[in-house]
Formats: sequence, C-alpha cells, structure tokens
Amino acid sequence: MFVVDVEGKKLLIVMTTGPEDPEKTYAPFYTAALSAAMEIDTSMYFLMHAPKLLKKGSAEQVKLKKGGTLKQFIDMALEGGVKFYACEESLRSLCEIDPADVIEGVKIVGSSTLADLALEADSVLSF
Amino acid sequence: MTFINGCELPDDLFYFVEGNQMSWVKFEGNEAVIGLTDPAQTRAGKIVVIRVKEVGTTRPKGKPLATIESGKWAGAVLSPLTGTVIKVNEQLTSNPELINNDPYGQGWIVRLSVANQEEKAALLSGEKAMEKYRELIAKDNIRCMRCKQ
Repeated sequence: MFVVDVEGKKLLIVMTTGPEDPEKTYAPFYTAALSAAMEIDTSMYFLMHAPKLLKKGSAEQVKLKKGGTLKQFIDMALEGGVKFYACEESLRSLCEIDPADVIEGVKIVGSSTLADLALEADSVLSF
Repeated sequence: MTFINGCELPDDLFYFVEGNQMSWVKFEGNEAVIGLTDPAQTRAGKIVVIRVKEVGTTRPKGKPLATIESGKWAGAVLSPLTGTVIKVNEQLTSNPELINNDPYGQGWIVRLSVANQEEKAALLSGEKAMEKYRELIAKDNIRCMRCKQ
C-alpha cells in the first residue's frame, strides 16, 4: 500500500494513435481512468488519427487481442470523469469526421487548446 | 445468503450502489468494514493491483478510498460513508486476488471510523438491496463463477 500526494495535480494524455493500431489504443484510456480514480484532474487530447476512435460506432469495431472492444475502455474513462478534447482540424481534415458524428462527452476544440492544456498540466503523456 | 446469477449477496450486509459502485458495508459499533461485492469483483475480473488510502486519511462520502486495477477495469472504490481510515487490509498488497476469491471475508478492503451515522440510511439493505442488484446484474449481464482457493 502506498499513497502519493496527488491533490490538485493535473495530467494530460495526448493521443495520436487511431484504429489502425488497435493494441496501442486502450492503454491510454486505462491510464486516464486510473489517474482520474486517483483524483488527478485528467484530460485527454485527441489529434492526428486519434479522433477516429471517437466517431460514433467506431470504438465498438476496434477489437482487442485480450478480448472485448475499445468501447469499454472509452466508457470507463468517461465515467471516471476524464475530460476528452478533440482537435477540430484533425477531426475534419485528416479524419473526415463531422463533429455531429462524435460520441457524447467530447469537447471539440482548436489546436491552441493543446498548448493551454499542456502548460497547465503537471505532466504530459503522449501515445 | 441470496444468489443472483450465481453471485453471492449476504443478507446481513449494507450495500452502497451509486453509478458503477457496488460495495458492501458491515457495521461494527462506530466502525464500518468495506469491500467489493461478488458481482463487482466479477465485473472487474482478476484484480492485479489495489492502492488504498493510508490509515488516518479522512474521506468524505463519495470520494475514492482505493483504486483497483485489473486487466479490463481501472477505477476507484468510493467511500460509502464519511469517515477516517483506521485499518487497511495489508494482505491485499501481495495478494489482491483475495478480493476475487473471498470478497466478503479475507478480501475486505478497509475499516473506517464512521463520522456520520446518519449516512447509513442512504445505504441499501434487505430486499431493497437485492432488488437493486437484480437490476444491475441483469443490466451488465454479470454471471458469477467465483472459485474458492
């Protein structure tokens, strides 16, 4: 048993991997859910191919070798209070997704928000 | 003991059900022992790590008492009551699977000194608790097949 003082700490997880590499997708959500459970103010920022994971119906199609799909990990993070931000430019231009087709709970923001979140965070993890 | 889809639910415990939380509470005077229920440990799968707040920590109701990691789930065990941690189950550090194998016995997680006995009224017990569990177990399609060690 050990406890690190995490009061008031902020963690940002930057996600660039999309459904093209399923085995690299779930650990960031797992880490985010756990971090939120530890009472760390946790955010995830999705850019490049990662917003594809947030399209309605997409996570259900990402099958994991360990069994199940990515959806359970996304739900776990959202239910745990992790904040999701998707880069609008990546979403529209690279992923060709209409913001209306994104799952609930995701805030669609500009690239400048990534800088804000990174500078506010105590630590940034990138996947 | 009540069995729902193979899940054991002792009739003499109190139950905290809120969001995805499914924990049990056993009152002993002004103290409360807390653990995960059989359906909760089944849903989590084999637990590999548990971190519990240290003795002396005061937790308001609804704030994390512990974090649990399994292969398919990571999350918090929220405090069902406001209170101060007076004892943690040290055995779980080296053997977190006790929660899976014996959730109501050796797998207990923490003992609290209860700050506000009135919060007990918000916990479920008896037939009300079983009714709620029938609903949750059906919703998540949980089937318990726990093996004793």
